Amino acid sequence: MVRTRTWSLRAAAGLCITSVMLTACSGNTPASQAPGSSTGVTPTTGGEATPDTGGAKPGGTIFVLTQAEQWDQVDPQRVYTGEDLAFFGGTIMRALTAYKFSPDATEGTSLVPDMATDLGTATDAGKTWSFTLRDGLTWQDGSEVTCDDIKYGVSRTFATTVINQGPTYAIQYLDIPGPSDADTKAGYLSSYHGPYDKDNAAGQAAFDKAVVCDGKTITFHLNAAHGDFNYTVTLGFGAVPKAADTGETYGTVAPYVMSNGPYKVESYTTGNGGKMTLVRNENWNADSDPYRKAYPDKWEVQFGIDPKILDQRIMEGSGDDATAIQYGQIQPENLGVIFQDTETTNADFEGRAISGFDPYSRYYWIDVNKVKNVKIRQAMAVALDREAIRLNIGGAFAGDFADGAIKPNIGADYAPTGLWDSFFGKEIPNTGDTELAKQLIQESGEPAPTLTFNFADTPTNQKTAAIIIDSLGKAGITVKPAAIEPGQYYSVVFDAKKAGDFGTGGWGADWPNASTVIPPLFTQKGGWDLAKLDDASVNAAVDAAFAELDRGKQAADWQAINKQSAEQMWHIPTFFGLSQTIAGPKVGPIYRWSAYGSWPYGEMYVKE
Amino acid sequence: MAAYIFRRVLLMITLLFMLSVAVFFLFNMLPGDPARLTCGKACTPDLIEANRKRLGYDQPVLVQYQNFVGGIFFGRTFSADSPEPIKCEAPCLGYSFSRHEEVMSLITRAAPVTFWLAVGAFIIWLTVGISLGIFAALRRGRWQDRLTLGISLVGYSMPSFFIGLILYYFVVIQWKLLDKPEYVSPFEDLGKFLATMILPWIVLAVLYAAFYMRLTRNQVLEVLNDDYVRTARAKGLPERTVVVKHALRAGLTPIVTSAGLDLAGLLGGAIISENIFNLPGLGSLAVDSITKSDLPIITGLTLLTASLIIVANLVVDLLYAVIDPRVRLT
Amino acid sequence: MVGRSLRQIVWARLRRDKVAMFTLIVLIAFVLIAIVGPFLLPNPAQVFDKSAISDLGGRPKLPNGGISPEHILGVEWGTGRDIFGQLIYGLRISLIIASSATFITVVLGTVIGIFAGYAGGLTDTVIGRFMDLILAFPFLLIILALSGVLTQRLTDLGVPEGNPSRILYLILVMSVFGWPYLARIVRGQVLSLREREFVEAAVAMGAKRRRILFGEILPNLWAPILVYATLTLPAYIGLEAALSFLGVGVQAPDTTFGAMLATSVAFFKTVPTYLYFPGFTLVVLVVAFNLFGDAVRDALDPKAIH
Repeated sequence: MVRTRTWSLRAAAGLCITSVMLTACSGNTPASQAPGSSTGVTPTTGGEATPDTGGAKPGGTIFVLTQAEQWDQVDPQRVYTGEDLAFFGGTIMRALTAYKFSPDATEGTSLVPDMATDLGTATDAGKTWSFTLRDGLTWQDGSEVTCDDIKYGVSRTFATTVINQGPTYAIQYLDIPGPSDADTKAGYLSSYHGPYDKDNAAGQAAFDKAVVCDGKTITFHLNAAHGDFNYTVTLGFGAVPKAADTGETYGTVAPYVMSNGPYKVESYTTGNGGKMTLVRNENWNADSDPYRKAYPDKWEVQFGIDPKILDQRIMEGSGDDATAIQYGQIQPENLGVIFQDTETTNADFEGRAISGFDPYSRYYWIDVNKVKNVKIRQAMAVALDREAIRLNIGGAFAGDFADGAIKPNIGADYAPTGLWDSFFGKEIPNTGDTELAKQLIQESGEPAPTLTFNFADTPTNQKTAAIIIDSLGKAGITVKPAAIEPGQYYSVVFDAKKAGDFGTGGWGADWPNASTVIPPLFTQKGGWDLAKLDDASVNAAVDAAFAELDRGKQAADWQAINKQSAEQMWHIPTFFGLSQTIAGPKVGPIYRWSAYGSWPYGEMYVKE
Repeated sequence: MAAYIFRRVLLMITLLFMLSVAVFFLFNMLPGDPARLTCGKACTPDLIEANRKRLGYDQPVLVQYQNFVGGIFFGRTFSADSPEPIKCEAPCLGYSFSRHEEVMSLITRAAPVTFWLAVGAFIIWLTVGISLGIFAALRRGRWQDRLTLGISLVGYSMPSFFIGLILYYFVVIQWKLLDKPEYVSPFEDLGKFLATMILPWIVLAVLYAAFYMRLTRNQVLEVLNDDYVRTARAKGLPERTVVVKHALRAGLTPIVTSAGLDLAGLLGGAIISENIFNLPGLGSLAVDSITKSDLPIITGLTLLTASLIIVANLVVDLLYAVIDPRVRLT
Repeated sequence: MVGRSLRQIVWARLRRDKVAMFTLIVLIAFVLIAIVGPFLLPNPAQVFDKSAISDLGGRPKLPNGGISPEHILGVEWGTGRDIFGQLIYGLRISLIIASSATFITVVLGTVIGIFAGYAGGLTDTVIGRFMDLILAFPFLLIILALSGVLTQRLTDLGVPEGNPSRILYLILVMSVFGWPYLARIVRGQVLSLREREFVEAAVAMGAKRRRILFGEILPNLWAPILVYATLTLPAYIGLEAALSFLGVGVQAPDTTFGAMLATSVAFFKTVPTYLYFPGFTLVVLVVAFNLFGDAVRDALDPKAIH
């Protein structure tokens, strides 16, 4: 999934963390969106969308203000947060393919070639993919971006002991034998150990067979058919010149990332007061890059800005802040000032603020090995006062009520599951149905259970926990809250021994295919199986869906499993997240780029 | 004297040693798994385990402690698997894998902010506290005295974060008298520096000023009752001379020493002021690291801060011994 | 004997002090509210008033943070919980924490101080260095860093999880970092008392050590201990608020002054009263305690220069 950052609402919340992943500070997770084309629900766009960049002129500086202390990662193989992928992709890190800049949700998740001349050629029924590089691709030092640089970049993903926290699709998809026990013990996820282990000839040979360079053509041999592999190469398949690679510190310390985009990193300091400055890369060849507009002369990312003043600065938009954009999310207390409702801005902020889907579906996972009885799980879901929980995180601004794991903005893979309207034979109100819950418990043939609820320890979550205790309590279910330090949340809940019975979670798709949603959430593949589900029939259904090459039939397969997940209540779906962001008056275009739920960095400009 | 200094330095070293042990073992209990912080979504238990091993966190606490202390004196190397392993030169307080930076360099970057914050507040509170204290002492029992005492009482009753928030909102956000605080070095832009620091200084100084005002007042009154001051008065010296030459000099020594210790304490980071005014000092660094369970930074910072206080204690004691030889006997 | 007569003298002096009497009444009122209030008001921790807030951002529907006859000080954003109720319940928790921590601090400080002062020699030195070590720790940082683990440890030891454990953690940790100050004062007093005739007489008469320490010496220490205690209590109220503000300590759905302030900061521009109510209540409480503490000190030692 494309990851989000979690925010330290220092002022409001005291302590709250940038965690390993999402929803550690639920309700304050910022925008960053997975690709998703829209069918059912179109992402709303407050303020006018200005796709037309006719008024755009080169020059000026765009300031990116964030309360984050630093980038999660600055490395083509490690960047995994939606907004970060959008930013780096638009400025310093090119990939084989990229998403089109467009305010239209569907178009915004369609692919265009970037370093490649086209969208790639699949042969062998989707098991082999080739891309040919454009002419004139250059690094910031003037040297040529070669096929080997891309191959080297891909190889870094396998060095899991050094290059970690990034997407691992290269490991999952490339035709390289899996890890032996010894490999696993040593911390590798494949029999290939990446470029830093010099004593792994067999692995290296397997990799050289899987990724082949022939002049300007790079060919990937996959272990299974993947019809959407040209989407996959947007994630972690960036180029790195071997000579510049410093491993662990690559990207974060000088000389920083070797750029092949229109800008290069001039300086980077983290923490409160820290900045990253990007200046023009004189060696970038515009002819080789029809994708990026490269309007501003300079980008300046300012870290560690107090959330108290961040919104305030951009709302006022004076001085440098006129060309500032917010990385993150508008604080709840300012939403009412900026927006009339979830779709329209107030007059003062017209064309400056956007409200739309973020990539995430939020849910409460339930450990199916601890809460085995499906009726009990259903009773929990039915008893929940989802309305009060949503109010606590910003009401309608926080998102729509969810009916499953798959979010509507993913496109064809979404279909309503009917969970809350028809599955139980009647409509379940958003405030919960205590009577039905009691009845379900009775049908379960078990006494009403006592359950432990995990959540990242933030003030917002603490109140949410109180609501859950209250609403489940009415149905007779006793809930014991077990708060976890936000920085440790996911490491604890993934450990079945330490985790409670249910808890907060969230997930977003990596590209518009539920293959990046269902398998990670409900099988052991992809590592986000908080439900601890490992069911043979589900695994088989997932494998079958993967193998289905007809995209329409595949969508139906995902829809079926999604419906099953809601009915079997492997997790309680709660919200399809929305988020709101603001920009200064002199920057454009203002729209939410559906590819990453982010600003369209690659075509942003400073207005007159 | 030499023997005394030797004894005190020896004692300080013992204390520092005990401190490093205490800090290290105390924080070893923390749940922050540094290995977990180095690996994200594709984190298998085996990968965490491998990372733990690679970072040396699988070793017994005692060995880890040795490595840590060794790093302080001789430097260490981290991430040996990397094509360019990270060499952390002595004095090495550790390496933060989540921030990709040496703890020492993080501290070096944050330290000037805290330094200026502490020193500025120190000057304000000493000036205000001592002058008001003397003023009150000289007007003892009159309304000026009572007023000053009242102000001081309210001053140290106000939680500093409350004063800070109120000042911040009115001065910066509501009335826009000052720019939003954004730290710059005084050598870069003195005006902006002062505009940023003035509120934090005031907030930090209020509590201490109130305290030092009382302390000074009591000291001065005590000294004014002493025999030699009475003698000086009896000799017909003008009141001003009596106060300045005799009373102050004798009365202020303990105040200044106590101020030295308070300053040392602040140099370790003024968590609340830095938090409210968003200053990137050691206090902010500490809070950020705690929220992220970034163990290397927390350990390094605590050790450094506590060492500062211990060293300041020594310096103050030695100064005291120089000023007043009787001290050495006790 | 000493104790009783001292008490009578002090009380007589206090009664003549108008400020002292006034603050005493204020303090008694606070304590009564903290004790009785929860019986009269429902615990706002559990009462979510969804009707009072809007679905757009969770903002209180009525102006001024939702002040109405039902919610006289308004409601909290997002939950609609009553702020007046939170103040009352928060006051109780703040007072419980501060007074318990003060009690433990005083007991620890007194016992260890007496012991160090009377024993002297190596014991005194070791205790002295130990106190140096504790005082050298940046305690705010330590309290923040260790809150998670130690709270969990308390829970493991059988303290009810959640806020009871957190409250106990705060009490203990404040006491641990607080006692050395009192111990130093007590030790100094004991050093001089040790040489006094009545102690020497007791020693000569073959009194047991415990009898000397707690029968002869302790009664002479009440004045400094009492003064220290009256000044520590308000300091702890402030410290607890600061810690809650930084996110350590009592957590939602329960609340304290510091926690309320921390939440209200974000809404200052739209609902300033939300910050003022807990803020000013806190200041009044602490000022009252400090004034009363001063009065007690004056009463105990009228000759002192105050």
